[in-house]
Amino acid sequence: MSDIGKVRLRLPSTIKAGDVVQVRCLIIHPMERIERDKAGKVIDKKYNYITKVVVSYLGKTVSTFDTTQSVSENPYFAFTLKATDPGMVTVTFLDTLGGKYEGTAQIAFG
Amino acid sequence: MAADAPDYSRVPRWSSRAIPEARGDIRTEPDGRRVAVRYPGWSTTDYGKFRTYAYDDWRPEPTVSRAIAPAGITGDPTKGRALFLNRQKGPCTGCHLVPGDDVWPAGSVGPDLSTIGDRKLPDAYLYQQLWDPRVVFPLTVMPPWGLQGIFTPEELVHLVAYLQTLHGPATPEKDPNRNPFTRARPVGFGDNLDPTNNPGVVRAEDAEALWKERGPAGKACADCHAGGAATAMRGVATKYPRHLPAWGRVMAIEDFLSVHAPPTTGRTLAVESADNVSLTMLVKMASNGLPVAVDTSSPEARAALARGRVSFGRRVGERNHACADCHAVDQGANKFLGGRFLADASGGLTRHFPTWRTSVNDAWDLRRRFQWCMTPLGMNMLAADAVEYAELELYLAQFDNGKPMSVPGIRH
Repeated sequence: MSDIGKVRLRLPSTIKAGDVVQVRCLIIHPMERIERDKAGKVIDKKYNYITKVVVSYLGKTVSTFDTTQSVSENPYFAFTLKATDPGMVTVTFLDTLGGKYEGTAQIAFG
Repeated sequence: MAADAPDYSRVPRWSSRAIPEARGDIRTEPDGRRVAVRYPGWSTTDYGKFRTYAYDDWRPEPTVSRAIAPAGITGDPTKGRALFLNRQKGPCTGCHLVPGDDVWPAGSVGPDLSTIGDRKLPDAYLYQQLWDPRVVFPLTVMPPWGLQGIFTPEELVHLVAYLQTLHGPATPEKDPNRNPFTRARPVGFGDNLDPTNNPGVVRAEDAEALWKERGPAGKACADCHAGGAATAMRGVATKYPRHLPAWGRVMAIEDFLSVHAPPTTGRTLAVESADNVSLTMLVKMASNGLPVAVDTSSPEARAALARGRVSFGRRVGERNHACADCHAVDQGANKFLGGRFLADASGGLTRHFPTWRTSVNDAWDLRRRFQWCMTPLGMNMLAADAVEYAELELYLAQFDNGKPMSVPGIRH
């Protein structure tokens, strides 16, 4: 596996002021599955999966997502954002082992 | 340039360095049954009776055969229709359109049979067409179904009875996609080099670790090829497959890794192993954007190309098909085989391999794609690193000359 926590963020190649743009992001993360023993009991341990995704734009948190079941290994998230001003979009992923992984992309009008 | 005649006298022998599933081995079970060793989920049928792409397989194509329908059997159109749609048999619908909302997906390689009954063709003629159409059409792409034993004579009588019930006028289509002649062409999966779009890119980046990791012999790729894979390997893959004098044969990157890695790093890197495919992607990605520049001018490369070209048109297997039946423009290319849109080989099919396959969630190199193509056609596959496959790949790759490499691709 590539390095855990490598975040890729993609924006449309051209953005105009006021556009609603799709932000796509992919993180390399094992999203460990919960294991069970032969009797079907959950094996007690601290599983490593992403629990929270935080999006900030122009330095302000604009959205947070909580993950639930069925999020895959190397998960891919996409959401829309209204590009009001040029500036930085940051997406932060938090996992259960305290990992904090960040990806950034610059919104520029042209 | 006139095409060279193929010369099979100086083809090197090759012992496979592929993983067990990809060697084309046949195993004999304790009960004497012979089964083919293939990937899980693939057919294990041994098609040893039928000819293959092996250069030393000199068995001829099945002889053109005339037949008349057996007496005393009355054709049942209902049974015939079920046989026409049966996916364990043809299915006939892979190439021919017939009426019915349950006919999905129908192909367009062969003629539309929706109103064939109106042509008032004699039963005996239709029977012969199904038994062995080469009697009337020597160059047809349709298999000799009866002769090869895929349909029994009785089943053919039912099929003829069904075809005779198909009369016009054709009912208007509710869904234009049911009809392969009006169906929308597939649009693909978008940018294949975007990691948020193609999981193959993420998979290829895993190989960066392999590149740097020392093998059992104490060396890593990075120890000799300095500057990182993207720099050290820039432009290398554009020249492959190529004839390598040291090995006396044509090799693609996959083949070369299997002979180059053991003496240098101590790794096996068997052909079609996950590590081999990942490293191949890494090496090829270093040439992305550069034009393919496969050499077909040296005497050895010309000889290999001539053999590869003949393989492309060679009829093989239970169904007596050739690559060209589906992938040459004047034949099946740019038509639908069932729901699959058949690509045109002369447009270049190789420059995105190894490619991510969304249907299997894995990256496949071209050899595995070859093997997947060939097994359902009723022939035993060759080893992934067979000289025959390498030369067929050379023939296909030269159509890509001058076009930019783009690895990994993404396909269904």
